[in-house]
Amino acid sequence: MIAVKEMRRHRPRDVVDAVIIGTGAGGAPLLSRLAAAGLSVVALEAGVQWRPDRDFATDEAEQNKLFWMDERLSGGGDPLAFGKNNSGIGVGGSTLHYTAYTPRPQPDDFRIRSEFGVGDDWPIGYDDLAPYFDELEAFLGVSGPRAYPWGPKRPSYPLAPLPLNGPAQLMERACAEAGILTSPAPNAALSGSWYQPGHGWRSACTNRGFCQAGCSTGAKASMDVTFVPLAVAHGAEVRTQCFVTGFVRDPGGRITGVVYTGRDGEDVQLCDHVFLCAGAVESPRLLLIAGFANSSGEVGRNFMAHAGVQVWGSFDQEVRPYKGIPGGLISEDTHRPPDADFAGGYLLQSIGVMPLAYAGEVARGRGLWGEELRRHMRGYNHVAGINILGDCLPAGGNDLTLADELDGRGLPKPLIRFTAGDNEKRMSRHAEKIMRGLWDIAGASDVWSFDRYAHTIGTCRMGDDPDRAVVDADCRAFDVPNLSICDNSVFPSALAANPALTIMALSLRTADRFLQTRGKRE
Amino acid sequence: MNLMPDRAYPVGTVRSLLASDRVTPATADALRRRLLRARAPDGEVFDAEAYRTLEAVCARLIPQPDRDPPIDVAAELHTRLADGIGDGWRYVDLPPDRIAYVRGIVGIDQTSAALFGEPFIALAGANRDTVLRALQAGVADGETWQLMKSDCFFEELLAQVVDIYYAHPLAQEEIGYAGMADARGWQAIGLDARDAHEPAPLGTSR
Repeated sequence: MIAVKEMRRHRPRDVVDAVIIGTGAGGAPLLSRLAAAGLSVVALEAGVQWRPDRDFATDEAEQNKLFWMDERLSGGGDPLAFGKNNSGIGVGGSTLHYTAYTPRPQPDDFRIRSEFGVGDDWPIGYDDLAPYFDELEAFLGVSGPRAYPWGPKRPSYPLAPLPLNGPAQLMERACAEAGILTSPAPNAALSGSWYQPGHGWRSACTNRGFCQAGCSTGAKASMDVTFVPLAVAHGAEVRTQCFVTGFVRDPGGRITGVVYTGRDGEDVQLCDHVFLCAGAVESPRLLLIAGFANSSGEVGRNFMAHAGVQVWGSFDQEVRPYKGIPGGLISEDTHRPPDADFAGGYLLQSIGVMPLAYAGEVARGRGLWGEELRRHMRGYNHVAGINILGDCLPAGGNDLTLADELDGRGLPKPLIRFTAGDNEKRMSRHAEKIMRGLWDIAGASDVWSFDRYAHTIGTCRMGDDPDRAVVDADCRAFDVPNLSICDNSVFPSALAANPALTIMALSLRTADRFLQTRGKRE
Repeated sequence: MNLMPDRAYPVGTVRSLLASDRVTPATADALRRRLLRARAPDGEVFDAEAYRTLEAVCARLIPQPDRDPPIDVAAELHTRLADGIGDGWRYVDLPPDRIAYVRGIVGIDQTSAALFGEPFIALAGANRDTVLRALQAGVADGETWQLMKSDCFFEELLAQVVDIYYAHPLAQEEIGYAGMADARGWQAIGLDARDAHEPAPLGTSR
């Protein structure tokens, strides 16, 4: 990355063209796009800039520093785990610990209401994002098959697939016997050396298997080794350890400055435009605290989480599930299963797992303790899993609100309520049956399932109707002339694909649409 | 349940790895810190009697008759509570962690008294397990559990105890985990494959 002393810096009293709040998959791509167009831009990041080769340990407990640890309150019928499950802090945001699993959503994912009469259509479609998927795969260095078997035609992935680990081999054999088509997964970790503009050479993945707790080698395309250094090379400033608490607005409702608590106390960065990219929890939380951009009443509503039921089994073979990228193999044969009793669909993926993560699931999901737990964990090296990534429908009551309880900064903690609906439950049962069948074929014993929901989606949805949505199809807030929101909060539906690639595509599109219309709409 | 072959590493495997060039400095530092004995509790969260009960509970959740000294799970749990180190979320049905744990220990004694007429610490092992199973099933008697769901509290407590135990390098040695040998990464990642620089489990040869 470019030396910090060379980074262009602004004073808070300079009116910069744009402030970007957050440097994850939503903020970093547009930060680099705007900087490349010559705009003066400042990113405010709550966390620090890590030096992964020096700072990242291959140790799950030590790497808790990558997670957002300000407490979130979890309620509803199926309360979600936060922290390790789905939050991030530091330059790069949650891409520091994403699996870098980068399947594209399919065109029909964007039209779930048209197809099934439930959920919500997106105001944009696959074709609007396809050029950005092409660009991202070529820029990040995605490893994957030459010809991907599902979805529309697309360019070959630029790098060969990563090798299959034990769980992927087991799933591949079982699926072949069951007549389910599989493919090595598209993954934004490198199978070969890769030159990253603005950053330098990134070396190939060493199969350390620690994607979900931080990549120490730079093989994984997190934002801190891709878009952020490119942005800085183009003149962007990344200001770390700056937690945004509010906004200054003029009588007309325009934002004139962003209020944040930095290393030297509270300050205000003056700006012409704000891009709020803090994720589906912190973005709506900040808007609810600030008390604007919500004439629709939709801020905080339509919270969704992907169906993610896992099936684990124990095998005679030694699996050593900590090696290799966790999700080596994919199938999208279940995208629209013919015997489905639910709307939407899901993808299947093999899963390896780190020991603490697995022990935690055994404790919470299976309730094992005492000698029984220790005995089960002594078989850790023989464990392999499959899970799904399934669509989720928005539902009344699944939402984010402000709790009465305050955090250490004196701000209300977020309360997220989530209850899986009938659709999610039927999808999970359908998937569990298939996965248990596969593990039976593969020769597993002691098979068990862990019902879980992953990712935070919705809460500031996009749409064409200002009464039903917070932002328009260009991710611009209906109520505030110079505010855009770009992260997983704007998703009107969850999509049956891991969200990071789509968030990045939206981020680039948001920047391009902003640049195309700049000076014309305000 | 199916008993898998034990893949434990011989005693001393992790310590010898840490002394080698097979572990990166960042990883070795983290593991060495955890090999040191946990900070002794200072009475900040629990009084002495409540702390003894917590220790007894931890010893049922993760029994360590084979270890001398055992991994001090209760002391580390106390440190996390005293320092306010959470995991980024909690069930809205539970109060903040410190309050939940202090109340939870009181509640465990209430359940013990209701079932056996004695505090938890006075019970034999099997009866201690009966108390903990009642908590886990959400059917524990006791005034505390009218205000705080015992199954929620039990899940939280168990998750913390398990997280602390398996974060310890010696517990990772017990399950044959070699991920800390991270300096070179892995080439042999498929089924029944082992890299040349990977330790050999007990009862196997190179």
